[in-house]
Amino acid sequence: MRERLDDRELERTLSEIGERLPYPSRDMWPEVRERIAKQRARRWWPLVIPRGMLAPIAATVAVLLVVAVALTPDLVARAAEILGLRGVQIFRVNETPTPARSPVATPTFAGQPALSLADASKTAGFQVEAPAELGEPDAIYVETAPVRVTLVYRTRTGIPVSPVAGVSAIVVEFRGRLDQAVIGKTTGPEARLESVPLNGGVAYWLSGQPHQFFYFDPNGNFQPETLRLAGNTLLWERGGITYRLEAQVSKEEAVRIASTLR
Amino acid sequence: MEGRLAEDALLVERAQHGDTEAYGELVRRYQALATRTAYVITGTSGDAEDAAQDGFTKAYFALARFRSGAPFRPWLLRIVANEAKNRRKAAGRRPTVDLSVAEDRPSGDTALSPEAAALASERRTFVLGALRRLREEDRLVIAYRYFMELSEAEMAEALGVARGTVKSRLSRALVRLREIAAGEVIGDA
Repeated sequence: MRERLDDRELERTLSEIGERLPYPSRDMWPEVRERIAKQRARRWWPLVIPRGMLAPIAATVAVLLVVAVALTPDLVARAAEILGLRGVQIFRVNETPTPARSPVATPTFAGQPALSLADASKTAGFQVEAPAELGEPDAIYVETAPVRVTLVYRTRTGIPVSPVAGVSAIVVEFRGRLDQAVIGKTTGPEARLESVPLNGGVAYWLSGQPHQFFYFDPNGNFQPETLRLAGNTLLWERGGITYRLEAQVSKEEAVRIASTLR
Repeated sequence: MEGRLAEDALLVERAQHGDTEAYGELVRRYQALATRTAYVITGTSGDAEDAAQDGFTKAYFALARFRSGAPFRPWLLRIVANEAKNRRKAAGRRPTVDLSVAEDRPSGDTALSPEAAALASERRTFVLGALRRLREEDRLVIAYRYFMELSEAEMAEALGVARGTVKSRLSRALVRLREIAAGEVIGDA
């Protein structure tokens, strides 16, 4: 007898199979908790780079640069062996994300637009400052979860407009100290990282074609961020706020712009 | 349904803020679903449980980038299914998996006559045989619909495809299942 199942029979049979699939009868949480604890203790830095973020994948060897100045004691314990303390260590990773190139005339930045620096400060909960050198920003955006302010400079004499975002420069500000956070950056093979003096402190200069940026916020949470301009970037910290300037300018020029923050 | 989503969202938020016991609640809530999903891919319950646990662990470390307000269940299943696929790949792929079900678990069959129950059991064996030889992706889409009873939106999220694609994928998978089954015989020839 050769019998065909009709649609209803097939569906019912599938449901019946579903009901009979094996499943664990014990509580899995203790084992999962143990795995989480183990993984936390182990090589936490490479593990936290989510796979999804590395796709689409360019088959190149990239350099992952990590800035670790001084960390909270808890983070220090975990980070010491990987990062080396107080300084910069370079990791080679096998994959790098392909930069998202979408040339648009008027880029959209995340967050709510703010009318003025004062407005932005009120929403952000900290004093938002802008480099006087660049003049008034053309647009200000404030994100609230987590708090982050983006100042947008559409065109500025002497600064080329980024083909990626269609603007000359942006300044991004968020609460977080470089000495409490780990800041890493995936870059192309050409990318370079160096520290430069700024206002008696130190700033970090990333040149080449960086396009993604990772950091840990003060709670130790991993925060990924895509660089909007995929160009040269200066990172520095002042009064508990981390600033980053993205603009296709020279290192000296970036430092000069940063020093006019007020 | 709404209540479950809201509870999940609350638990996820608490977990994101460092409350690991809230995450424990999510694990307990979805361990059966996660393990079954993995089982459909791996075909052995040992591998399935291992994949589910690793999936939960990965999901925990990925919580920071979980979009708030998004449904947790399909997001988790996607991670677990990936874990299971990797495991199967690492183990060396065989064309079929050793999928089997407990035939002794009563579930509504009690009302059936012994003959009808025997026939139903036979049908399950028959369909299971076809499922074993189905491609991994086809098996997964069928499992999401008929075993886990996910909504179309959840299926789209769990499979990582557009919502409009879910229906065509499912019907394609069912066609293939039928094609395989067509070569088989129910009962005595």
